[in-house]
Amino acid sequence: MGTTLTETKTLVGQSVRRKEDPRLITGTATYVDDIQQPGMNYAAVVRSPHAAARIKGVDTKAARELPGVVAVFTGSDVAELGPVPCGASLPGLRVPYHHLLAQDRVYFVGHPVAVVVAHDRYIARDAAERVEVDYETVAAVTDSEKALAPGAPAVHPQWPDNLAFTFEQNGGDFAQAARDADVVVRQRITSQRLIPMALEPRGVVAEWRSGDKALTIYSSSQIPHLMRTLVAQILGIAENRLRVVAPEVGGGFGSKLNVYAEEALMGFVAMKTGKPVKWIESRRENFLATTHGRGHVDYLEIAAKKDGTILGLSLKLIQDLGAYHQLLTPAVPTLSVLMMPGLYRFRNIHATILGVFTNCVPTDAYRGAGRPEATHAIERIVDCLAAELKMDPAEIRFKNFVHNDEFPYLTATGLSYDSGNYAAPLEKALDLVSYSELRNQQAEARAAGRLMGIGIATYGEICAIGPSPATPAGGWESATVKIEPSGKVTVMSGVKVHGQGEETTFSQIVADELGVDMDDIVVLHGDTTLVQYGIGTFGSRATAIGGTALYFAVQDLKAKIKKFGAMMLNSDDVSFVGGRCVCNRSGKSVSLAEVAGASHRALALPPGTDPGLVATKFWEPPNFTFPFGAHIVVTEVDRETGGIKINRYVAVDDCGRIINPMIVAGQIHGGVAQGLGQALFEQAVYDESGQLVTGELTDYAVPKATMMPWIETGHTVTPSPVNPLGVKGVGEAGTIGCSPAVVNSVVDALSPLGVRHIDMPLTPEKIWTLIQGGAA
Amino acid sequence: MKIAGYYTLPVARERAYDALQDPVLLAQCMPGCESLEPLGEDTYRMRMKMILASMNGLFEGKVKIAEPSKPEEFRLVVEGNGKIGFMKGDGLLRLSETDGGTDVHFEGDVTIGGTIAAVGNRLVDTTAKMMIRKFFERMTEKVRSEAATA
Repeated sequence: MGTTLTETKTLVGQSVRRKEDPRLITGTATYVDDIQQPGMNYAAVVRSPHAAARIKGVDTKAARELPGVVAVFTGSDVAELGPVPCGASLPGLRVPYHHLLAQDRVYFVGHPVAVVVAHDRYIARDAAERVEVDYETVAAVTDSEKALAPGAPAVHPQWPDNLAFTFEQNGGDFAQAARDADVVVRQRITSQRLIPMALEPRGVVAEWRSGDKALTIYSSSQIPHLMRTLVAQILGIAENRLRVVAPEVGGGFGSKLNVYAEEALMGFVAMKTGKPVKWIESRRENFLATTHGRGHVDYLEIAAKKDGTILGLSLKLIQDLGAYHQLLTPAVPTLSVLMMPGLYRFRNIHATILGVFTNCVPTDAYRGAGRPEATHAIERIVDCLAAELKMDPAEIRFKNFVHNDEFPYLTATGLSYDSGNYAAPLEKALDLVSYSELRNQQAEARAAGRLMGIGIATYGEICAIGPSPATPAGGWESATVKIEPSGKVTVMSGVKVHGQGEETTFSQIVADELGVDMDDIVVLHGDTTLVQYGIGTFGSRATAIGGTALYFAVQDLKAKIKKFGAMMLNSDDVSFVGGRCVCNRSGKSVSLAEVAGASHRALALPPGTDPGLVATKFWEPPNFTFPFGAHIVVTEVDRETGGIKINRYVAVDDCGRIINPMIVAGQIHGGVAQGLGQALFEQAVYDESGQLVTGELTDYAVPKATMMPWIETGHTVTPSPVNPLGVKGVGEAGTIGCSPAVVNSVVDALSPLGVRHIDMPLTPEKIWTLIQGGAA
Repeated sequence: MKIAGYYTLPVARERAYDALQDPVLLAQCMPGCESLEPLGEDTYRMRMKMILASMNGLFEGKVKIAEPSKPEEFRLVVEGNGKIGFMKGDGLLRLSETDGGTDVHFEGDVTIGGTIAAVGNRLVDTTAKMMIRKFFERMTEKVRSEAATA
C-alpha cells in the first residue's frame, strides 16, 4: 500500500487510508488464537450455572481420568494467590476478595469454579463437563433496586444491605436552587445493562520458561502494561519476569480494559504444568463472564426558571455493580456525576451514587464509561423540562450553554472545561436538517395523524483520561521514537491500539515532523518487552496523550538530528525540513538516512552528543480534554407496529483538531452504531434467579448493518489548549450523543399521545403498548 | 417460571393418586425418562433425556414426593443436572373427583439454569407445557388400558 503526498500539504488533516486495514480485511492479522507454541495445552473453564450457591464439594476425578487431560485445578489450588484487582478507590468502598476461582461460594452465573487443562481444546471442553460440583443454591438478587430493599438476599453475606459504597458529589446549593426555581421537573431514567460484544472474545496464551524464570502472557487486552504489573502481583512473581503481549485485539470497547481471573489463571497453569497453555473464550462465555456495561437507574430533578434558565440538577444514581469489582467497576459511575453539568452554565449540583452488589457479572467500562449514562440522563431531563415549559428543545439548550468567553470554564463539579464553542455544532446540525422547515413538516405530519419526531441531544465529554491525580494508575502516556541506521523510523507507543487507527494517525504525525514516507514508519505497541511502559487505550486518550508524548519525543529527536546535521554540514546554522538537514547558508543538505547512518556509525560525534537516534518521552497531561457536539435524529413511528424508522441522523462533532477525517468519521459511525444498539435494541436481561436469559446472539440484539441509518457527519473545530496537537478525542463521542437524541426523537413523536419519557431499549412492543394507551 | 393447569384422568381418585406415585408408571409416562430408581422413602433417582431446540442432553436428578395427603394432594419436587444446565421444579398436585374420573390440578414453579437458560429460555415455557401434556396423555392411556384389562 503506497501513500503519496504532495510536497506542500501536511499529512495531518488528510483522510489517509489506515495502515492497519490490509491485514485486518485479508484475515492475516495475528490474534491470540493464532499463536501456537510447541507442546501447548488447552484450557477450559468450568463455570457456575447458579447465581448464588454454596459449593459443598468439587469432584474432579472423572475429568482427570479422561485420556488427554493434563490437570484440573480448583479453588483450593489458587486460594493463596492474590485477588482479581480493583483499581478504584472510594471512601468506605467494600471490596470482596475476588479469588481467581470460586472458593466456597459462587456469586454469579459464569463464575469460574475450576479449570481443566488438556492436550486439545475439545478434550478440555469434554473434561470440563465431567467436573462435578455439588452446589447448594441460595437466594439471588439481580435487580439493583430490589437488592437495596430490606430483606433482599445478600450477595455477600457479610454485607446484608448489598451496598458497596455511597458517594456524594455536591457543588453550589441544589436545595436553594429548587427553592428559587419556578419549576422542578423529576424523572426516573435508566441506562440498561449492556454486553460490550467485541468481535474477538477474550483469549490468553501463557508460556513459562522455568530456566529463565520468565512468564509470557499473550492476552487480548487494552492495557498490557497495567496488566503485567497487576498479574505479577496476583501470581507473586517479579514484574520484570513477566512479559505481556497484546497482539491484534479485535475490539474491546472497555471490556478489555481490565485484568481478568483467566489471565492470571493461565499464568498459574503454565507455571504449574511447565507447558504453554491457551484459553480462548467462547461467545457464550463472553456473554456470561466478560464485564457488562451501564446498569444505571437514575432519579433526576432539574430546577429552572420559567424562561428556561436551568438553576440546578439533582441525581440519585443507583449503579448495578454486579457481584465483584473488576478493575474500574466502582469508578465508572463517578465519571457520570462529574459529567452532570453537561454543557450548561448552572452551578448547583447534588448527586448521590449508591453502588449496589447484585448476583450478576460485574459491570465496568463500556464505550463512554459513565458518560453516555450521564449524557442520556441530562439530555432527557432537559427535554422533559423543555416540554414542561413548552419551549423548543434547541432554544432551551442555546439559553443554557456555557458562553464562549468563559473558557477555561470551571464547573460546579470541579472540572475545568478546556475550550468550547458549544452553540456551533448545534447550529450546524440545525442547519443540516433545515430545522424550522422540519418543524413545519412535523406539524403537517401530525395533522395527518403521523407520528414524526425530531430529537436533539448535545453532549460534552471528558476525554484524554487523564491527568494522573484523576486516575487510579497514572494518566500519562509514553512514546519512543527510534531512527534505525537505515533511516527507517520505529515508534514504540504505550497505548494499545485495537481498532482506533493510531498506527496511521501516529504515522501521520511522525511523517510530517520528520519528512519521511508513511510507509517508512512502523508503530509498535502492546508488548511490554518492546515498549518502555504505557497506560493503555481507553477514555479517548490514545491520540491526545499518547500522540502528544510521541510529538514531544519527535521534537527531542529533531534537536539531535540537527546537531548531527550541523556536524556533517560543518555549519552552525541548519534547519531540518522535508526529511533533510539543510545548511541555511550554503544550501547543502544531508538526508535523514545519512544522518541516521552517521549517528550509528559514530566515527565522529557532535560535542556532548551520544551515538544513535532514539528519544523517549513520558508526557503528563495538565488537564482532561472536553470535546462536545450535537446529534439530531428524525424518526417516524409506525402506529400499527410500534416500529421506529430513522429518517435522518445528523452528528456534528467537535473533537478539536482532526488528524484524519476518515478515521474520525469511522469512530463516529461505530459509536453511533453502539448508541443505537442501546437506544433501540440491546438489553442484558437476568431473570430473578440470576440466569442471563439474553445469553446468545439470537436473544441479544446487536445492531446489524441493515439496522443502521445513513449517518450524516459534520464537524466544528475548536482546538484543545491542553496539548500541542490541539486534539481532544473522538472514540466515544458517537455513543454518547446517540441514545438521548434517539429517545428524545421518539418521545417527541409520541408527545401528542401524552408520552413524556420512555426507557431504553425502545422496542416495538414497548412503543406499540404506549400507542395503545398502556404503560410501557 | 410459574406453571399451572389441570388434566382429567379417567379413573377414580384413589387410583389416580397411586398411579401418579408409581415409579414404574411415572418412568413410562415422563417424556425422555430413561430410569427411575428408588433412593429412599418417596425419593427416586431419575435419568432423563431433555430436548430443547438445538440442544439435547441427559439430566440426572432426584424426584421426591413430599407432604403426601392421600388421596387429595401431594407435592412433587424434581431436580436435575446435566451438561446443558439444570432444572428444578416444585409443584403441588391436587386431586378432585369429577364426572368420569379425577381432575388433577397442578401448580408450581420451574427454574432452569446454565446453557439451557441462556439459549433456550424463550422455548422453556412451551416445552414444559408440552412435556406435561405428553405426560398426562400417556398416563391417561396407561390407566385406561389398565382399567380395560382389569
